[in-house]
Amino acid sequence: MNGYTIRKIKDRIMVSLAYLALVIALIPLVSILMETVLRGAPAINLSFLTERIPPLGQAGGGIGPAIQGTLIVVGIASMIGVPIGVFSGIYLAEFRETKLASVARFLADVSTNMPSIVIGIFGWALIVTAIGWSVIAGAIALAIMVIPIITRTTEEAVKLVPVTMREAALALGVPRWKTTITIVLSSAKKGIATGILLSIARISGETAPLLLTILGSRFWFGGFTEPTAALPLTIFNFSQSPYSAIDWPRAWGASMVLILMILGINVVVRYFTREKYG
Amino acid sequence: MSYKIEIEDLNAWFGNNHVLKDINMKIRENAVTAIIGPSGCGKTTLIRCLNRMHELVPGARISGRVLLDGRDIYSDGVDPVTVRRRIGMVFQKPNPFPMMSVHDNVAAGLKLNGMKDKQRLDKTVEKSLKLAILWDEVQKELDKSGASLSGGQQQRLCIARALAVEPEVILMDEPCSALDPTATAKIEKLIRTLGESYTVVIVTHNMQQAARVADFTAFLYLGELVEYGDTSTIFENPRNKLTENYITGKFG
Amino acid sequence: MSRLIDTGLEQLSRLLFKMGDLAEKTVSLSLDSYMEGLEVQDKVRVWSETLVALSEQVEEKAIEIIARYQPVASDLRIIESYMKIAYDLSRYGRYAWDITFIYKRLNVNSADCMFPSLPIKELKEKVQDIVHTSIEAVRKSEIDLAKKIGEIENEVDAVYYECLDKLVEQDRITTKCLITNLLFIRHLERIADHASYIGESITYLVTGERISLRGRMSNES
Repeated sequence: MNGYTIRKIKDRIMVSLAYLALVIALIPLVSILMETVLRGAPAINLSFLTERIPPLGQAGGGIGPAIQGTLIVVGIASMIGVPIGVFSGIYLAEFRETKLASVARFLADVSTNMPSIVIGIFGWALIVTAIGWSVIAGAIALAIMVIPIITRTTEEAVKLVPVTMREAALALGVPRWKTTITIVLSSAKKGIATGILLSIARISGETAPLLLTILGSRFWFGGFTEPTAALPLTIFNFSQSPYSAIDWPRAWGASMVLILMILGINVVVRYFTREKYG
Repeated sequence: MSYKIEIEDLNAWFGNNHVLKDINMKIRENAVTAIIGPSGCGKTTLIRCLNRMHELVPGARISGRVLLDGRDIYSDGVDPVTVRRRIGMVFQKPNPFPMMSVHDNVAAGLKLNGMKDKQRLDKTVEKSLKLAILWDEVQKELDKSGASLSGGQQQRLCIARALAVEPEVILMDEPCSALDPTATAKIEKLIRTLGESYTVVIVTHNMQQAARVADFTAFLYLGELVEYGDTSTIFENPRNKLTENYITGKFG
Repeated sequence: MSRLIDTGLEQLSRLLFKMGDLAEKTVSLSLDSYMEGLEVQDKVRVWSETLVALSEQVEEKAIEIIARYQPVASDLRIIESYMKIAYDLSRYGRYAWDITFIYKRLNVNSADCMFPSLPIKELKEKVQDIVHTSIEAVRKSEIDLAKKIGEIENEVDAVYYECLDKLVEQDRITTKCLITNLLFIRHLERIADHASYIGESITYLVTGERISLRGRMSNES
């Protein structure tokens, strides 16, 4: 057994271990997907997706309002969060060295890791106590979650724009603000868009903030200051039902819809940011 | 014989780092002036002080005056943006805007400053590309991405882009160091031609290039201007021993 | 820090110094044997031809250095000066040969043609001095030696004109002797000229200034 052979064996062992670890890591993910699809698919049909939510234990109906609720709440949260996040991100990237920037960056990083239930309580304490369980409260809570994420991803995307490109524009006598808005942004737009879409995908699945702000309901959207349904909450409700035979399949079905939404966003992002040659 | 730029007692710092020390220089109009010196001697900083790009780095500052046609570009009330329109710059690594076509790259300076007249833009693009000796090579491919050209072509594209805003001075920071010898030769010839109608200041670490291309040469060492004169004198019989040692390769 | 060009420059210098020594030897032999009427024509001819060959080598080496190393400043001045000096040294050889040729061709014993008032010996010694000084100047690249060449050159000119005057005044001299002496002093004067060219080249090499060391023509001659 010379050194070379020993090394070859060591090599193979390491590679096999790494491979094994990867497989183990993938097992839960793959099983989740498989279980969800296997158990959820049978429940899904057009009426499931479009009819109102039935009371627990009752047959028929669907998760229409939940889908609608998620879309509305996430939509409003995005409308609030995206502009604030993007412009904050641009500020952080362009004025990297200021005191304000360092502080903001630190706070953003902390916020991205804040437990979502805390954000929920905050939303409840601030908004629900004022105007009651409402779509607005939920949207604001989700916006609070999404802003720091978009800020940081935007900042990173803008930072990636090479200094040389900015300098080229500045040397042409283009004012700084214009350089940022035209050259830098158009160069970073892919990265920014990716960040936005992925953060939206992330908040679509958040449950805790919604629990304490929109409360959930079985009915279609009834106004911005009214509670509404949302997929994560509906899934939770169905899963807590004593009528498991009827409601569990619905829970699985709703889960599959939610996962498909999120997967869908990811696939779209991937497609639009693929490397184009030529 | 007039001086386009007069540099008076120019000092420059990066934070506490004193990079340029008491530079006094007069740069002739419509001539090519080269700045040579070992790495770190301050030559890039010097030209970036001429178009007010130095101050864009956080912590950078200057003292002294830089007169363009007799007026200090650093005096209060002078907008750096207007300075940069009169003094253009070409960088070491060609940096065309990759998300724009060849045509749009050249027109970028004009478009971003508000020019919308398509005919005027097209004419200026053609004129600039001809000045930069690139027109013949790209006239059928003006819509291709700026980044799809070869290195030498990209650099000439950047020169055309700089020329399109009709500057009076063109600064070049080691414009050929990323290019192969053939591309370099084309650009050196272009520089000599440009020197007849523009004031060109070129930083180069290649002394032979300075000898070929420049009418006047300045030797910078550790932030100080050691010697400055016409190129033939500097390369045949420099007055300063330090200059002599640098250009004969005894150090640096 | 030693540079790539230094090897080339060293080779060039060695060639040139070799030429210098040979040139001095050649001139000495030629002048001494002329004064003493010795037959050294073949030896001097061979040395003179060697000097020509060496000067061609110097030129080739210099051109090679220019093509390969793009010399500037002092390096460039060395190349230019050495090329010129090599030519001047080859001229030393050529005139030395011409002088031995006088005897051979004209079949005259130069000793017979000398007369006391003709300061030909003085001229010969001064020329030997200036040649020696020029070789020293090349070896040491010293401008003081170049200045000395200028001084000796003035003296050489003075004695040369004196010789001319004396030859003109002399009635009782054969045509053969007249021609012999004239050719001899003429060649000596040319050797001295080339010595001053060498001095000028050395001055240019060191200071970058182009000067003239040749004696001014005085109005009285």
